[in-house]
Amino acid sequence: MKRLLATTAIATLVAVPALAVELTVGASNIAPYLDPGRDHSNVGSQFYHNTFDTLIAKNLDSDKTEWLPGLAVSWELVEPTVMELKLREGVTFHNGEDMTADDVVFSLNRMYQATFPPYQVRARDRLANFEKAEKVDDHTVRIHAKRAEPLWETLLNLQQVMIIPEDYTKALAGDPKVAENDDYEAFSLKPVGTGPYKIATFTPGEQVVYERFDGFWGDKAPLDRVTVKRMPETASRITALKTGEADIITNVAPDQLSLIDGDPNLKTVGAATALFHVMIMNVNHPKLTDPRIRQAMSLAIDRDTLNEALWLGKAVVPASHTMQEFGELYMPELETFEYNPEKAKELLEEAGYDGFEVTFDTDAVYYTNGLLAAQAIMEMWAEVGIKGKVQVGEKWTGNAPELMARNWSNPMYFADPFGSFGVMWAPNGPSESEGRFNTDEAYAKIWERFRYSSDVAERKAAYGELMDRIKADPPVLPLYRPYESWAMRKDINWAPKPGNIPYVLDFRAGSISFASN
Amino acid sequence: MLTYLARIVLKMLVTFFAIVTLVFFATRLSGSPIDFVIGEGITQEDRALLTSYYGLDQSTWVQYRAFLASFADGQFGLSFVERRPVAEIVGERIWPSLQLLLSSVALTLALSLPLGILGAVYCKSWVGSAVMVVAFLGYAVPNFVLATFMILVFSYWLNWLPVVGNGSAWHFIMPTITMSGILIAGLTRFTRNAMLDVLGQDYMRTARAKGLSEQTVIFKHGLRNASITILSVIGLQIAGLAAAGSVVVEAIFAWPGIGDLLVRSAIVRDYPVLQFGVIAVSVAVLLINAVVDIAYAYADPRIRLGRA
Amino acid sequence: MADAAFSPSLTAGSRLKGVAAIWREADMIQRMAMVLALILVAAAILAPLVAPFSPEQQSLIARLRPPLGFDRYRDGYLLGTDELGRDVLSRTLYGLRLTLALAVIGASIGLVVGGFLGILAGLIGGIFEDIVMGAVDTQIAIPFTLIALLILSIFGSSMEVMVLVLGVHGWEQSARIVRGEVRKLTQMPFIEAARSAGASGPRIAFKHILPNVVSPLVVQFTLSLSNIVLLESTLSFLGLGVQPPTATLGAMVGIGRDYMPTAPWIVVAPALMILLITFAVQILGDWLRDRTDVRLRAR
Repeated sequence: MKRLLATTAIATLVAVPALAVELTVGASNIAPYLDPGRDHSNVGSQFYHNTFDTLIAKNLDSDKTEWLPGLAVSWELVEPTVMELKLREGVTFHNGEDMTADDVVFSLNRMYQATFPPYQVRARDRLANFEKAEKVDDHTVRIHAKRAEPLWETLLNLQQVMIIPEDYTKALAGDPKVAENDDYEAFSLKPVGTGPYKIATFTPGEQVVYERFDGFWGDKAPLDRVTVKRMPETASRITALKTGEADIITNVAPDQLSLIDGDPNLKTVGAATALFHVMIMNVNHPKLTDPRIRQAMSLAIDRDTLNEALWLGKAVVPASHTMQEFGELYMPELETFEYNPEKAKELLEEAGYDGFEVTFDTDAVYYTNGLLAAQAIMEMWAEVGIKGKVQVGEKWTGNAPELMARNWSNPMYFADPFGSFGVMWAPNGPSESEGRFNTDEAYAKIWERFRYSSDVAERKAAYGELMDRIKADPPVLPLYRPYESWAMRKDINWAPKPGNIPYVLDFRAGSISFASN
Repeated sequence: MLTYLARIVLKMLVTFFAIVTLVFFATRLSGSPIDFVIGEGITQEDRALLTSYYGLDQSTWVQYRAFLASFADGQFGLSFVERRPVAEIVGERIWPSLQLLLSSVALTLALSLPLGILGAVYCKSWVGSAVMVVAFLGYAVPNFVLATFMILVFSYWLNWLPVVGNGSAWHFIMPTITMSGILIAGLTRFTRNAMLDVLGQDYMRTARAKGLSEQTVIFKHGLRNASITILSVIGLQIAGLAAAGSVVVEAIFAWPGIGDLLVRSAIVRDYPVLQFGVIAVSVAVLLINAVVDIAYAYADPRIRLGRA
Repeated sequence: MADAAFSPSLTAGSRLKGVAAIWREADMIQRMAMVLALILVAAAILAPLVAPFSPEQQSLIARLRPPLGFDRYRDGYLLGTDELGRDVLSRTLYGLRLTLALAVIGASIGLVVGGFLGILAGLIGGIFEDIVMGAVDTQIAIPFTLIALLILSIFGSSMEVMVLVLGVHGWEQSARIVRGEVRKLTQMPFIEAARSAGASGPRIAFKHILPNVVSPLVVQFTLSLSNIVLLESTLSFLGLGVQPPTATLGAMVGIGRDYMPTAPWIVVAPALMILLITFAVQILGDWLRDRTDVRLRAR
């Protein structure tokens, strides 16, 4: 009896791979290049997780933080600023090379000591505290930080420090022994990693074809082949799903959900993405220097109505710049942002608002419902007496002195307030550097406590103080966490994992399966 | 003949140079495209770093010379967005565009020649009027409207036809029809007028008087004589119209061709690609024009002898 | 060449008779086109009076409501509401108004600029003529949609830029036609006579040449009008035209296409409008061309 069962099991195991499992995904955008190091775009984030690994992995099934061994099997702090990691043995890259300490040191130092300008840019906002990585032996590396780092694991779990092969990369262009800019440019068109899927073909902006990598060190990929294709038109994407051209599609607008759910062969899944759509306001615009005007602009916006009307109530409207994923640093008790049109009117009157026009910039398509929300906000402003005007354009205007307000997004690049608010609103960070946000010494001091304290309570207190500063002199209003939806064939079991950063198309083992029918 | 050829080539070269220069300086009018290329949320220091990495901190004159030099190595510079040679990006899109063009021209010829002849032969009856109404309607329905409604009916409601890309023969149906609409309308009208012209000529009356059957008269004498004018119009008009049509059709059906590429590069201000795309399409049109000119000259002794 | 109906020297009375004559000469289809054109122009001019709502008045609680006769119809919104709960009928009427206005302005700019340069090129000749005709050839060589893409990507999308783009369209045809006519006319005895009688260049241009190029220009104007409507709609459809909340017909179709499966009524009305305009204008333009073409009329 036992033997029979075993035989059947083996037969099933043998039988299943014979049926090649292939999927086509219709995505609204395909990345123009694929290099996890230089990229932090929402478009790029979709693709890296299947192909690359980090040293330290994370339990993705939970929105609580739980670190797991990745390409490193163990790690310990040998000094307050030095982390030693033991590397996994028997890991191979997609091109057949073994992964060794050299590859890890190369991958990390290409960011920590970046010479390639796109890496320098990416490293500065989140990896500034890291000095270098060095090889101890073939399977041990040490990483040196400049000062004690409270977020070691978090910052080794980043997309930007995924591991790539050294020899392969260096040999792509020019001198095969030296890492040149052209090597990195070439890598971003022919990416190679250690993950369960290798990238078989990549046509920039058009499609990415994954194939199962049989040499993967962990659980083998459940799919033989996944083709992610660009399908930019909303209606075409949905139509492609109906005609069977696509098995899964991304970026389904809330207005289309009922239509798909009404089809007996299709279904939708979704989640409030770990990202805020925000409105930013230029604190240095001559007409907006009075904080009361900006407070009024913020108080006038009925975010719950936007949620009900544009997101069917499925988005999440936050009371502060905080997310559940922050774990111990999630602070829903803060009341930084609210809707209060009466107070808005009072503040406008006090500030002596004379009816000047306030422009609101938006891209036509970049943010789901972005243009609709902008137009609705103009109506809400009109309710309290603010004369608003939408300006549509593709150009990023966040660094223009004439910017008054516009939409933007603050994604959670990693699960910590530093990975969301912290990247965007640090002293001398992008917002201040673009000239639409000011910090002073006091802000910088609070910031220091928030970023580097090893005591969580201390970090929380500091974050609360930062939020008070934002409330008193607002440069930003988080509108909501958008509800991001995917649609697919009914027999496919796939959903975004709570532990992933936004938009990841995760097809690793355990992420996707098919209902048997 | 040789002087005539030389004149055509010279004219082409001058026009080409004018286009290249115009396109380059036009794209520089708006200032640095860096804000489109790198987008949101980086510090000014980093912005300066990337500007210099992309070579956009050089003077316009230096950039112009580099741009002209990039013609020499056959790469035509690097795309701002994809960071690979423009020639490669455009190159992989030529064939899909050409396929769509050929299928559209084939459909256009197959429909508009018979329709045009019908319209001319029966120009006094309701058949002729019906042909003209169809031709005008074909011209009046914008291709994007046609495409949008075809997708709704044939794909979304009926699930008959695929809508994205050029994966199979089925994928060609809707884009080809969309592209052809305006071409059919134009060519039908033209064929009809050309046939009317020819049918009114004396030699046609002679042919009829000789007792040849009406069919022989129309096809053997009429069509043959009208065909020269018709062919020249195909050469001249179709190139331009198709280039315009492909922009819309390829964008709607995510057809991986040049038109789709141009719209995307225009939106994200990927100037190296946009410049080269515009130039490449213009050169194609110029070449077709030149070929038509030469063919005409060959047929017309007055021009051949250099007395245009 | 000069056609009675288009000669500016006619008196008001004879012009009326001219209109009646045109009507008599027209066949069924052409009469239909004339009536259609009149209705469309009237609707465009009267949009502020006829439209039941302001085109920008939103109602977030009543988004995507279907037209009269369907479930969930919202009272008063005959053609349904769009993605922000705005009245589709009102937006279509205002869209028609803006589309027509843009087309007329664009075609006029092309006509005036092209005509002016054409006259100058024909009269002055020499290097000036070479430059103008070189520019004409260059523009003819580049498919205009590409020129438009280029201009819009350089200057961004706004009403002003759109007018510029539409104005650039078609000038080369006017210039070519006018210059050809001027070249032909300057050979004619009556111009030579005027010149030898001591008339100045500008006087010759305005008194003798302008009246003679009017009718080919009117034909050109009509033809380019429908081209411009299509061009503007296409660019707006691609999201490169006039920007929201202001809408032209093309932009309404462009934004509405995302809602095709769920709310096709957003697209139907503006799409139909574009079709009617181009249909009517095409037929009229074609007919005008035939009427002014002596060779064709003789047959």
